[in-house]
Order: sequence, then C-alpha cells, then structure tokens
Amino acid sequence: MEITASNQNDITVLALQGRLDGIASPQLEQRLDALLAGGARKVVFDCTALTYVSSAGLRVFLSGAKKLKSAGGRTAFAALTPAVHEVFELSGFHEVLAVHPSAADATASLAGP
Amino acid sequence: MAPGVQLLTLTSSLAEIPRVADAVEAFCAPLEPGPRDLHALQLVLEEVVTNVITHGYGGRLGHAFTLELRIEGRRVTAVLSDDAPAFDPLARAEVDVHAPLAERGIGGLGVHLVKKLVDSAAYERRDGSNVLTLSRTFAPPAP
Repeated sequence: MEITASNQNDITVLALQGRLDGIASPQLEQRLDALLAGGARKVVFDCTALTYVSSAGLRVFLSGAKKLKSAGGRTAFAALTPAVHEVFELSGFHEVLAVHPSAADATASLAGP
Repeated sequence: MAPGVQLLTLTSSLAEIPRVADAVEAFCAPLEPGPRDLHALQLVLEEVVTNVITHGYGGRLGHAFTLELRIEGRRVTAVLSDDAPAFDPLARAEVDVHAPLAERGIGGLGVHLVKKLVDSAAYERRDGSNVLTLSRTFAPPAP
C-alpha cells in the first residue's frame, strides 16, 4: 500500500495505491491520526489505484470518517474501482460515506466552509 | 497432487494474508477471473483466515492450519481447517448495514461480506477441527 498526500487549500488528498488489507490498514490509520493531530479536517481518499480493500480497510475508512466528523471535519471518497465499489455497497458504506466519481468531484465537494 | 487442487499450510500470523492473496491469484489464473471475482475470493479468504488467527488462536503465533483450494469448472472451493477451539464464524449475528454513521459498529462486517460474496458456506466441527467450506462460481471469462 502506498499513500501519497497532497494539499489543495485546506483539503488533504490521500491517493491510495495497492492493497488495503489487514497488514496495510494500520499504516493508513496512523497516517489519518497524524493528519488529524496536525489539524487536517477535510480529507479526500482518492481510490483510483486502490485495487483491494477488506473489512480491516473498511474499518479504518469508517473510523477515519467518524473521527474527522466529530472534529468538525469531512471526508469524501473518489474513483472506486468496480471491485471496491461492490464491497462499499455490500457494507452499506455508500449510504454513510460520500462517494464521488472522481478526485476532482470529491475535492470540489469539500471546498468552502 | 492433481491439477485444480492446492493445499496451503498456514501459520497463525497475519503476515500470511498477502501470501494467501498471491496464492489465490496464481491458483485461479487459469480461469482468467475478472477483477470482481478475484477480489471477492481474496477478501473472503482474508476474512476467514484472520478470524482463525485472531479469534481461533487468540492471536498467538506458532499454530498451523490448512487451506485447500479446488477448481471444478468455474467454481472455486476453499476448505479451511484448523484445530482451534470450536467456533462457527457463520453463526455470528447479522450486522445492520443501513445504520447511520454514528451508530455504525464495524464488528461482524467481515463475516457479513463473506456471506454475501460466496454462493455457499458451511461450517462443521469434525474430529476436533473447525472445517469451513466456501464456494464461489466465477463469471464467464471476458470475451
């Protein structure tokens, strides 16, 4: 799993590449906690190159979204591959997380106050 | 061993997860699976293998268990056998996948996904072992 962070104004875009399995998930969780501690409140997960996610990865997505929300922040997910999209649907995550077709759409959705 | 069957011996460490994923991909390669089928089977096996390691063996290293993979036509069957205390992962209560974010627990999500992503799932306690048999029929190969 490779995580590449970039910033657009007050929005942090995390590009996820590879497999978010039970081994890789703690790495993303630590990254999110560090961002939150550093003051980040708006996070986009760009899933264009995320080829795999298991329940361990979903757990980190959900807890990350909850932590940011309770800190007054927001998250948006972008560009799910069909396999990852299916797992989001089966988990009901598309009902509680904001999912957008592209990273640009997701970033735009978090722009402004 | 006949083609179409593979027996993996695993140890009770989460480091086995990528190894299982690689083995599944290599084993299923002759079927030319679509990304959804391959993702589904890898996810299912990660969930059940993780369950055995963390629940069955309580996260303790040094236990060995087996995963057998079989192909019949486009149906892939996985049989997971371990000698941990009796535990039926399929008996877990259904999760509410429509609960709002704040009420969303994550417990049981793995088993929920397993049930959704296989065609058949059966648990049996046999001769002191937990035997979990899971099958998924892959879609026809892309033309």
